[in-house]
Amino acid sequence: MFGVLTADRVAYRYSGNSMGLEPVSIGLQAGDALLVAGPSGCGKSTLARCLTGMIPHLYRGQLTGNVSLCGLDSRSTPLWRLSECAGFVFQNPAAQLVASSVEDEILFGLENLGLARAEMRTRLDEALVRFGLDTLRARSPLTLSGGEQQKLVLAATLARHPPILVMDEPLSMLDSAAAEMLVNDLASVAQAGTAIVICEHRFEPLATLPGLRTLRVAPPHEPSSQAGAVVAAPLSAVPSFSLVVEDLGVSLGQCRVLDELAFQVPGGQIMAIVGRNGVGKTTLLRALAGLQRHDGSVLVNGQRPDLAMVFQNPDLQFFNPTVREEILYGISEPDLERYQGLLQILGLSAYAQTPPLLLSEGEKKRVALAIALMRGPRHGVLLDEPSLGQDAAHKACLMRLARAVADSGRSVIMTTHDLSLAAQADRMALLGEAGFLADGRPGEVLRDSSAWSRSGLKVAPWILAAQAEDALCN
Amino acid sequence: MQLIGRVRRVHEPIRLVVSPLRRTDPRTRLLLSVSASLAVMLPLERTLIFMGLYTLLLAWARLLPSAGRQIWRLRWVLIVLFAFDAIFVDLTLAVTVTLRIVLLASVFALFVGTTTPEELRLALERLGVPYRYAFSLSLAFLSFDLLRDEWRAIQEAQMARGAWAPRVRLRDLALSDLLALTVPAIVLTTRRAWALTEAAAARGFDAPHRRAYRELKMGRVDGLVIAITAIVVGLLLFL
Repeated sequence: MFGVLTADRVAYRYSGNSMGLEPVSIGLQAGDALLVAGPSGCGKSTLARCLTGMIPHLYRGQLTGNVSLCGLDSRSTPLWRLSECAGFVFQNPAAQLVASSVEDEILFGLENLGLARAEMRTRLDEALVRFGLDTLRARSPLTLSGGEQQKLVLAATLARHPPILVMDEPLSMLDSAAAEMLVNDLASVAQAGTAIVICEHRFEPLATLPGLRTLRVAPPHEPSSQAGAVVAAPLSAVPSFSLVVEDLGVSLGQCRVLDELAFQVPGGQIMAIVGRNGVGKTTLLRALAGLQRHDGSVLVNGQRPDLAMVFQNPDLQFFNPTVREEILYGISEPDLERYQGLLQILGLSAYAQTPPLLLSEGEKKRVALAIALMRGPRHGVLLDEPSLGQDAAHKACLMRLARAVADSGRSVIMTTHDLSLAAQADRMALLGEAGFLADGRPGEVLRDSSAWSRSGLKVAPWILAAQAEDALCN
Repeated sequence: MQLIGRVRRVHEPIRLVVSPLRRTDPRTRLLLSVSASLAVMLPLERTLIFMGLYTLLLAWARLLPSAGRQIWRLRWVLIVLFAFDAIFVDLTLAVTVTLRIVLLASVFALFVGTTTPEELRLALERLGVPYRYAFSLSLAFLSFDLLRDEWRAIQEAQMARGAWAPRVRLRDLALSDLLALTVPAIVLTTRRAWALTEAAAARGFDAPHRRAYRELKMGRVDGLVIAITAIVVGLLLFL
């Protein structure tokens, strides 16, 4: 049967001869919604690029099988023509903004369609109103929140009226409220007749999308993470302590981001900090790490704590030729036993001589964690969005390692949008604009509906159910 | 660990100044900026005359504060260059070089403070620059602040792992310090460029039937600014 999008045994091998995607077949009609699920590295992003014509037009690897978009063959049709059939929304909305105002961002795609000016104006106004961006039309896209940027990219793509919409991990950078809004938007898009393909491993929030079908993509090779490995403590035990934060305040420019925060974190505790995009979670971690000037104090036994920080983007740190040199850099007498233990726990043993920049995103995150732990911080580690782009197996591996660090008497403080990950911590703190709205055991915080409502976030029922189940098992 | 409290992670793009120049055609502003930049070729006496006239222009265009801020950011470069030239060459060269850098910085402030990347793209297109090059230039123009923020983020991330320390003395700098900053910067810039290429291609970049939404129109003020610019440049270069 002829469909708006057909992929017939599509497979792809990157030019470095590494497998990108095992053969996949897809057939979609107008209004269909398809979730492409699978673990990290299984080729979801590669498939998305095959379905939009980015592969083979922008990549030089080996494509087999056929992709047809609205009856056009992806190999022989120019990319600009394919883009009129399939809109593509990438994982990171901030990295795909090409204009200096919200209005110009939407106009960019409309200008490329060659529409009459009156038609462009009509579509621009429609898109702004439909996605609630009309009051932001003159704003710089780079000043918007992550959720607003995602909406803008979606508006800019859908204003072109593509019959197909392909999205690569659209939820990964969104908090639960923004994710819910996006799912509602997608439901209305599908209802209007657009075929949707969503490549995502955080699939639970998408369950409410009507008529959603799921395609599971098999990984081209076994995942490298030793997700089932028993984790030994990678660090020697430290005497008990308590991290004391008093009257912590941070101003960024004219904006007061944090004000009079006070809390304590005892050694051995895993604390998860959750909250809306832009509420100041990363700023709080940076203040704790001593990277951000702040009011108030952050002390352990009257002194500045020794905390290592793992950043959201590991590429900020890598410059050595091998993983080994990267992890051991700057340590005069490295504890090689600890180094080997970390490699084993983090599933990096096979990559000791590999350049870190060639690793997958998940593997890079684990190298960044190894760098932080190799320093042997006395009081703990700070993890900024550690689960970003990680599948369930890697998240489980991460939590086991966090537990091992906590077992050594150190604190682990993480910020995350992923409430299922935060629910596994010892303590959850919900950060709002006026400070912590709730702070306590994850089960209690997750059930504090008034705090969530004040934060503007929602807890999905499946998270509450999973948390209750875990509590019963424990 | 040293605090670097001046690091600002909230992206604050350059804001357009409410200026009479904003109402002119971007081609006029481009011409004005290019012409003003040419003044760096003048000898000291004429540079001084030009700087006087240029200051009047900036005052009319309400751009003196933003030009002042731009020059203030370069104060250490200016001081070091001035001292170096004054000590090792002569005072005239020191004054000339300093004035030229001040002039270029204020030209940058004039253009950036009055022109959006889209206006630059449109102006270049109308002046005959092929669309793909005009688009690339406007993206580079848009990316100034992003690159600045990324550079700061890299410094912070390397400091957190002890691979770099701020305010080191020049003689203490090791090759590894430079690598720690430049390798991630190159990687991130390359990635950003590739992401933008894909994003533009996904929205039909390079379509042959492209049509610009906005039109450019020259008015009476444009004619006046162009005429005055031509006269001033002519007088200073050829008299």
